[in-house]
Amino acid sequence: MRNIWTIAQREMLGYFTSPMAYAAMLFMLGTCGLIFVLSTAQTGAKADMTGMFHSMVFLSLLMCPVITMGLLAQETNSGTYELLMTRPVRDAEVVVGKFLGAFGLYLAIVLISLEFALIFERFGQPDWGQILSGYIGLLLAGMAFLAVGVFTSSLTSNQIAAWLMGLILLLFFWLVGWIGTGATNLLGDIAKSLSSYENFGDLEKGVIASRSIIYFLSLIGFFLFLATRSLESRRTV
Amino acid sequence: MIEVQGLTKYYGPHPAIMDVSFQVQAGEVVAFLGPNGAGKTTCMRILTGFMPATAGTATIAGFDIHDQSLEARRQIGYLPEHTALYRDMRVRQYLRYMGKLAGLGALQVRERMDNVLTRCGLVDRADQIIGTLSRGYRQRVGIAQTLIHDPQVLILDEPTIGLDPNQIREVRSLIKSLAGDHTVMLSTHILPEAQMTCERVIVINQGRVVAADTTSALTHRVKDAEMMMFRVSQDDPGIAGAVRSLQDVHAVRPVRGDKGAYQVETHVGCDCRPAVARAIVEGGWGLLELRPLEMSLEEVFVELTTDDEEAS
Repeated sequence: MRNIWTIAQREMLGYFTSPMAYAAMLFMLGTCGLIFVLSTAQTGAKADMTGMFHSMVFLSLLMCPVITMGLLAQETNSGTYELLMTRPVRDAEVVVGKFLGAFGLYLAIVLISLEFALIFERFGQPDWGQILSGYIGLLLAGMAFLAVGVFTSSLTSNQIAAWLMGLILLLFFWLVGWIGTGATNLLGDIAKSLSSYENFGDLEKGVIASRSIIYFLSLIGFFLFLATRSLESRRTV
Repeated sequence: MIEVQGLTKYYGPHPAIMDVSFQVQAGEVVAFLGPNGAGKTTCMRILTGFMPATAGTATIAGFDIHDQSLEARRQIGYLPEHTALYRDMRVRQYLRYMGKLAGLGALQVRERMDNVLTRCGLVDRADQIIGTLSRGYRQRVGIAQTLIHDPQVLILDEPTIGLDPNQIREVRSLIKSLAGDHTVMLSTHILPEAQMTCERVIVINQGRVVAADTTSALTHRVKDAEMMMFRVSQDDPGIAGAVRSLQDVHAVRPVRGDKGAYQVETHVGCDCRPAVARAIVEGGWGLLELRPLEMSLEEVFVELTTDDEEAS
């Protein structure tokens, strides 16, 4: 447990001593601000964050593989991986530590957007229940995206390859529901329930459905498990 | 302290090491000597728990490297071949991180820090960013990292590679100073290094241990004759015959290109120098120099590794 925290701490330190964290925060803040001005901050518009959540989760999808691409790929490439893996640390602790480190940065990025909720509070009557639900969704989805990224970063020593594989996997999960559009058969249902887009949809509307929560938690668990297995299998090459 | 029994590792169908067995006693400094590609790094990576062996077992301070991997790893300070450090961290920060990963608490790290920084000559660089350090200092940080948790066993893979002669000397004396407190196993392909820093040498070639002994015993083992050379001021065709006729002398050869110098091969275990000296002085040839020729570890090494090639 202590090892996890040690590793997470070092990753966060790495993010915040490099331009990465600030660039990511600026990107999120800037884009959200733009959306806020263009769509929500209009006379007569509702104090509703649904639209913002909608764009923020997609921005997260684009950003998460960038945050995670270096986590293990970079260590492999520079050779520090060998030292890390010969310390008395379990493979799973490395994976979870790295994941939490990335989540620390993600959390900071997401919390910045609370600014908009406060503006709503100042000038209107936002539905805080819905906002809470949206943030739960945003954090859960982000964690799932990060878990996928940690996994792809464990597969290669090339950061760009890790980023691209992560992005492709995430887009697959995002878009897979479209197969089920209009279909009423089993395949359609499966496709829809596999989709991160569909599952986030409920949460952003203010519906905290156990189905969606379980979906994201499973995704997180599954990909962190795969990442651990990937590190284990690397030892036996 | 380190016990290795029948360690074998295959990369695909190709064996990197084959049935490697040896022991290292507590407090010993042992060199793992072999040409590049002999399997030194593979062996060390297995010992440090970086990857498992295909067959065979090994224990570090009594802990099996496979079944009690975490415990075994706790006993080891490891310096990989290409010292890779987090370039964005400061020296002290990095050592604290590596210490914590080795299982130390914050307090223990603080207690060890000054000791390790002093020992590795890093006190005035402790707050510098690693990426800005010179190659020699980075190597010291690499060694400091192996010491931070005060492990019983140090495994150093080519610790002097890529350093300049002064830095090499510093690192060697640092390693020497660690003997006694730690059991040290270092790999090298440089023979004088093994001879200088280590009491014992394990020679590995093509994945097999071909010899394991003290440096002097190894030298002794492969030689089947004592050698000496002498030099005279008055070269004379009669010299060779006169020396050859002495008891226990096998052969006398003039050294090519060096007028007046001769090489003498004599029976093992007998020192014929007095007899040779007397013969030359009595012949009136003017003895200038007479000394035994030691077979260097280099020759031993070449002999051991080429023998093995012929056998396989």
